[in-house]
Amino acid sequence: MTTQDLAKREKQELKAEEGTRPGRWFVQDVDILEDDDALWLWADMPGVDPDQVNVDVHDDVLTIEGRVSTKDYDGLAPVYTEYNVGNWVRRFTMPAGSFDDAKISARLVNGVLEVKLPKSEKAKPRRIPVSVS
Amino acid sequence: MDFVTDALNGLVALQTELDRLLRNPSGGAFVGLSGAGVYPPINIFRDQKGDSLVIRAELPGLTPDDIAVSLERRRVTISGERKREHEGRGAYHRRERAFGKFSRSFAVPDDLDLEKATAQWRNGVLTLRVPPMAEAKPRHITIQAA
Repeated sequence: MTTQDLAKREKQELKAEEGTRPGRWFVQDVDILEDDDALWLWADMPGVDPDQVNVDVHDDVLTIEGRVSTKDYDGLAPVYTEYNVGNWVRRFTMPAGSFDDAKISARLVNGVLEVKLPKSEKAKPRRIPVSVS
Repeated sequence: MDFVTDALNGLVALQTELDRLLRNPSGGAFVGLSGAGVYPPINIFRDQKGDSLVIRAELPGLTPDDIAVSLERRRVTISGERKREHEGRGAYHRRERAFGKFSRSFAVPDDLDLEKATAQWRNGVLTLRVPPMAEAKPRHITIQAA
């Protein structure tokens, strides 16, 4: 018996690059939203402890990364599986100079990473009043 | 399998182990599973110490209040709703995350004690633990000298 609003999606595996440590990486599903003051990003990355998350901006590339803990699987022998687990990573190229790098903030709640990238002053929309003479 | 003692290759060992069964879906018969391919995907383990059945599902963005786990006879149902947030706050650049209602049921073997099942929530992952029935555990009988 199933209700099928929320459909299962296969996790996407990262194949384009290889890390120095072995193990597979997966690509987070993200929502990115822009309002007047900031760009907001939400990434689904379940199974990651808050201290295992890394968010950084370097050369206008935003990297969001998280490592899963294998300790939750200690002593468990799988008998049936429908998904694999792995570390998460994704990178986005940002428009140069649009954000105030020093003010970027991030938090992890219930397996979702929220990143707030405040816009730099010059990137904020400016409304120019039109005077009526 | 001990994934912790080998910190370097623990993840690889875990991934290989999960993969082996991913390619062999017939294992679902073990738990009388129906509705494979529906949300949320689940993984099932046997705890090598104590023989409990451990059922795990990734449900990012939900809170324990959004999830209902109900037990009826041998049947476990995980249901809930992931509500969309931040609607109308600005313009979306990307919208990949899925939202909506879900419900999934499966049966567990009858040597397990659903009355004593526990549920744990951590980092967007739900873990159900169902211990074996007391009578399924080996019992020792004291021999009385006549």
